[in-house]
Amino acid sequence: MTTNVETPEHSVPPSAGNGQRTSSGLARILNGRVAEASLLPFAFLLVIVGFSVARPATFFQWSNFTSIFGLNSVEFILVMALLVPLTNGDLDLSVAELSGMTSVLVGWLNVNHGWGIVPAILAGLAVGVLCGALTGFIVVWFDVNPFIVTLAMGSVYDGIALWLPNQLTVAGIAPQLTQWTVLHHILGIPLDFWYGIALMLIMFYVLTFTPFGQRALFVGQSREVARLSGFRVSSTRFWAFVVAGLIAAISGVINDGVLGSATPGNQGTLLLSVYAAAFLGFTTIQPGRFNAIGAGLSVFFLAIAVNGMNLLGAQTYIQSLFYGVFLVLAVVASRVINRRRAAAAVARGAG
Amino acid sequence: MSAKEQTASGPAGPPALLASNLAKSFGGVRALKGVDLVVDAGEVVALLGENGSGKSTLVKILSGYHAPEPGGTLAMNGATVPLPVPLGQARTVGLSFVYQDLGLAPDLRVVENLFVGHRVTRGAGSMSPIRWGAERERAREIFARYGVELDPSAQVGRLRPTSQALLAIVRATEELQEYRHGHEHSGGVLVLDEPTVFLPEHEKVFLFDLVRRVAGEGFGVLFVSHDMTAVREIARRAVVLRDGAEVGDVLVTETSDADLIELVSGHRLDRATIEQATSYGSDTVTEPVGPVVLSVSGARGGRVRDVSFELHAGEILGVAGLLGAGSEDLPYLLFGDMASVGGSVRLPDWSGEIAELTPSRAIALGVALVPADRKQHGAVAELPVAHNMLSLALRNFVRNGFLRIDRMIGTANQRTATYDVRPRDASLNMAALSGGNQQKVVLARWLERDPGVLLLHEPTQGVDVATRHQIYELMRARAAKGAAILWVSTDFDELATVSQRILLCANGRIAGSIAPPYSRDRITSEVYSATARGAAREVSTVS
Repeated sequence: MTTNVETPEHSVPPSAGNGQRTSSGLARILNGRVAEASLLPFAFLLVIVGFSVARPATFFQWSNFTSIFGLNSVEFILVMALLVPLTNGDLDLSVAELSGMTSVLVGWLNVNHGWGIVPAILAGLAVGVLCGALTGFIVVWFDVNPFIVTLAMGSVYDGIALWLPNQLTVAGIAPQLTQWTVLHHILGIPLDFWYGIALMLIMFYVLTFTPFGQRALFVGQSREVARLSGFRVSSTRFWAFVVAGLIAAISGVINDGVLGSATPGNQGTLLLSVYAAAFLGFTTIQPGRFNAIGAGLSVFFLAIAVNGMNLLGAQTYIQSLFYGVFLVLAVVASRVINRRRAAAAVARGAG
Repeated sequence: MSAKEQTASGPAGPPALLASNLAKSFGGVRALKGVDLVVDAGEVVALLGENGSGKSTLVKILSGYHAPEPGGTLAMNGATVPLPVPLGQARTVGLSFVYQDLGLAPDLRVVENLFVGHRVTRGAGSMSPIRWGAERERAREIFARYGVELDPSAQVGRLRPTSQALLAIVRATEELQEYRHGHEHSGGVLVLDEPTVFLPEHEKVFLFDLVRRVAGEGFGVLFVSHDMTAVREIARRAVVLRDGAEVGDVLVTETSDADLIELVSGHRLDRATIEQATSYGSDTVTEPVGPVVLSVSGARGGRVRDVSFELHAGEILGVAGLLGAGSEDLPYLLFGDMASVGGSVRLPDWSGEIAELTPSRAIALGVALVPADRKQHGAVAELPVAHNMLSLALRNFVRNGFLRIDRMIGTANQRTATYDVRPRDASLNMAALSGGNQQKVVLARWLERDPGVLLLHEPTQGVDVATRHQIYELMRARAAKGAAILWVSTDFDELATVSQRILLCANGRIAGSIAPPYSRDRITSEVYSATARGAAREVSTVS
């Protein structure tokens, strides 16, 4: 029975070891899937080298990198919120506004109402969980399209964020928060970056190594297969929104720490940048899956590219433009990955 | 020739599955009329029967999809199981299913698919670590035990269809092993529902080997199939259903192919008299006289591997084939709705490669397609009848830049009378109509365009008997007016009734034609024989 496994040019070698794609040996590197998985890291390297050559004095400085790491932790954390719903096949468009609302809420409780920073943070996280649960309940119980529901919920959060502080910036949030996010450093990089790293590793574990993550994968692939495997599809989808709500709230708290203040307002760019990163991440590390490490890597790929272009003299509008273009590119690339797989399967079926 | 007595002298324990008096009606139609079924431990039993024989109803009762009528009983391994079987929980009573579509997630890996049943956890268990290294190791052990060569890390969608089927069977068997842990290490029945339909002939041996091993472990196997060769290969006993009743329970080794086919097709004289009244197929057949309007040569794509034929104006050409024979893909291929890998067509106004066809081009050339799956492809249930009926002629209802819905509904109301769609109210949603009336709306949409070529795929699926005959009449009238009709169906009664010529399709090829007079029995036996012949030839040329 040696004809059993099809061996086209892209298939995994029969003894794929422990499945980790970190490769050794030329043959493995030339393998199609590994090449696919390492395309983005390679582009990443290219971008860094390019900007370093163009702006050695400003771009290629350790201080520039540490500030990029420290200043993009909100995106870094928020992108993790998208992964579980996306794996389930659900879009959550409310995460950016939820993040914004939490950040205003925590600041408002702390500054305007004199709450301690810790109770304020706990309240913010609880609100995040409740909002996620509400969204999940509406989506699952009434079986409505999460795209529209979360779009609407985002608008609600935005409204509340403007309403609480009377459309004013909440300034003067407890300095301890700022200390524990950007002022303390490990290896010269602010703490908030390490929070993101920790969350990324947790998400990687949850999606790859737990029954919860496996259920999400099957639900995203086919609700019918999942149901026949004995999964409670509704429950899987519901908890995904709860997790997303919690993580979005965490990113809101981090935002307070980074800025020391909270400004209510439109979070459109934030949403676009995290979606661009999530879909870009889909094409790398574990191609064909929404994966934590790919998504995290993509956040910094986009941030460094924007930083480099700013140093080259581009104006701020470059961000919107760039994130939009990259979201389109990433979605197209993820489609191509899936379609190529489907085409390979169809070709085999016919032959 | 009762095999039941023979099995009594077999294994000592209680039968793995003992069902009695299972019955089910759908809206007054008795789909299953009190059927008994026994599957012993370690025994492979084939369940045979045509479409509509009650075979799939029986399987769906076992899976819990249908609740049987009171009076039926089921005992697994000697223990009585309350009916209905809880849906999705059949494995807890020792039943495991592999369906034709296999139920695998193609983008995920072999090991992930194999152990998907283990991911049903609650609470903190959902966060417990999965050790993929150990899981892969276990998968390898399991595959080795069943003599299956599969790479646990391979992506399922990249495996050959045969390997995917093997994986699905191993997974289902493992579910039974787990059931056994809680049940004195015995019992368990694997139900294979048409698993060989889409597999290449020369690879079926792998599947047979696996099924034998499964039976060797002491599991009962219920093998639902049309495939006579496969049945002969692995089954000890065959249970034959016809019209919802059991008509045979025979030992396969003691029964000839001809006997089996006769059991499956039967002789129903009472129906034949009805056919006589409505059929003109049998007597009036002659060579087609109209000009050729559709000429197909060397068509390939999907499960169609090499099909050539000519379709004449004014004729109804039936295509008879079992599921998986390729005939089910032919209409879509010729409509440009499926990727073609070869072959050409000639129509009155166009000729070229099939690959150049698209649905919009086909429509422009006067070709119509009535698909089998009305819900998915034929009609939009949540739109009014008028919109469904006139969706191809919207342009005719635009006045001064506005689409006049009122005019559409007016016209459609008239058409409901022409095509006898009930109720005669075109503003109703499609979903409010019965299956038969929905199908009349779908037909009306295409007939309004006066197509030169009609491609029909199972046009009376889910349609009541009275409406069926109306549809037959409608099509005959069209043919009389010069339309050329290709009628692909697995309902051989229907083909016998409507066709002037009938082509046999087997293994993706045209295996010949059937000479009149036509009857369901004749078509059935010819199709089964042609399929078996083709299978034999294929095995001999490969090995």
